[in-house]
Amino acid sequence: MVSDDVLRTHLQELRRGTVVVASLVALRRPDYGYALLQRLTGHGFPVDANTLYPLLRRLEEQGLLTSEWNTEESRPRKFYRTSDTGEQVLSRLLDDLTAVRTSLTALIEGAPR
Amino acid sequence: MTTLTDRYLAATLRSVPAGRREEIATELRASIADMIDGRTADGLDASAAEREVLNELGDPAQLAASYADRRLQLIGPAYYLVWQRLLIVLVSIIPAIVGLVVGVVQATTTDNAGGAIGAGISTAFNVAVQIAFWVTAVFAVLERLGTSLNLPRWSVDQLPESPAERDTTLVNVCASIVMLVLLIAVLPWQHFQTVVGDDVRLPIIDPALWRSWLPVLIAVLLATIGLEIAKYRAGRWTWRLVAVNLVLNLAFAVPMIWLLLTDRLFNPDFVAHFAWLRDGGVDTLTAVSALAITTTTIWDVLDSARKAHRAP
Repeated sequence: MVSDDVLRTHLQELRRGTVVVASLVALRRPDYGYALLQRLTGHGFPVDANTLYPLLRRLEEQGLLTSEWNTEESRPRKFYRTSDTGEQVLSRLLDDLTAVRTSLTALIEGAPR
Repeated sequence: MTTLTDRYLAATLRSVPAGRREEIATELRASIADMIDGRTADGLDASAAEREVLNELGDPAQLAASYADRRLQLIGPAYYLVWQRLLIVLVSIIPAIVGLVVGVVQATTTDNAGGAIGAGISTAFNVAVQIAFWVTAVFAVLERLGTSLNLPRWSVDQLPESPAERDTTLVNVCASIVMLVLLIAVLPWQHFQTVVGDDVRLPIIDPALWRSWLPVLIAVLLATIGLEIAKYRAGRWTWRLVAVNLVLNLAFAVPMIWLLLTDRLFNPDFVAHFAWLRDGGVDTLTAVSALAITTTTIWDVLDSARKAHRAP
């Protein structure tokens, strides 16, 4: 059995890009940082706060998210929503994820155990 | 009163671009407050929750760097190899040349041989430090600007020679032979040409040694030239060559060190001519020379053995 460190590194590598995909899907319904963090964690995408908050800003700068300030509640919150560009990028990313899944399945089935 | 959160925000925003500072501050403050609320709802008291949240967010400088998309490395993988190769080439050539020139100029314009060697070494060291600093500084700036160097892609043409041949390239052998010839030439040169004052010339090495040890040492150096040629023809270090190398190294180092330690190497008239040599300087010179000879001998023998061991 490999050490926990090696395993953790590989799992992190595998999960890295999925946070972006999950955020773009989840933000079809507008949400603010902490609530998104809770939703993603609840759906099996545990992500660190210090990763997610800067990531949301970066995606906004890239035009994949739009944002709007909500000042009606007790504290002002910035709500993010997936933009049209974000939606296009998301569909490409989902296609690629499916392609990876298909290729992997074929590889597993084709290879003798 | 400033809270931990205020201090954390101040520390984070310090290194975030000024234009977006206000907005990031408001958003981050709300996020931290949300996270604290989440913990207090689970039954934690407010100040413990605040500490836990800020610890989770981690080093403010690191958080700010992720907001600004800034690299947390001096020189990254894109530039590292170019930086390393350039530094090795420059540091292995320029300091030695500059140090040698300064040393030679000092030795010919003043009559202080030890001082000239010291000036040469300290100049070489300073030049090496300056080169290392400036090359690294330039690459660190390139890293931050994200400048593309437009270097040609690596191709197989850049592969080094195969390891078996690498130990004895023609360049290395020529350099060794040139060094040995210079060393042999220095012996008669110092006998006739060492200027110690106005039109006064004195040999550095005791002239009496020309009738005893110097011919032996010259014979050993000539044999070492033969060894270099034999090594080049063999293409690599063999154990037989290592044995010969060991014998020749000892045949040179042992008499030299023995002459040094028994005060027979330096010309007594030469030592008497300089106050700094008379007043203990000769002892320092003896110790440094003996140490240098011992070190180079051990290194040379070990290096040849290592290369013979590594060869296929």
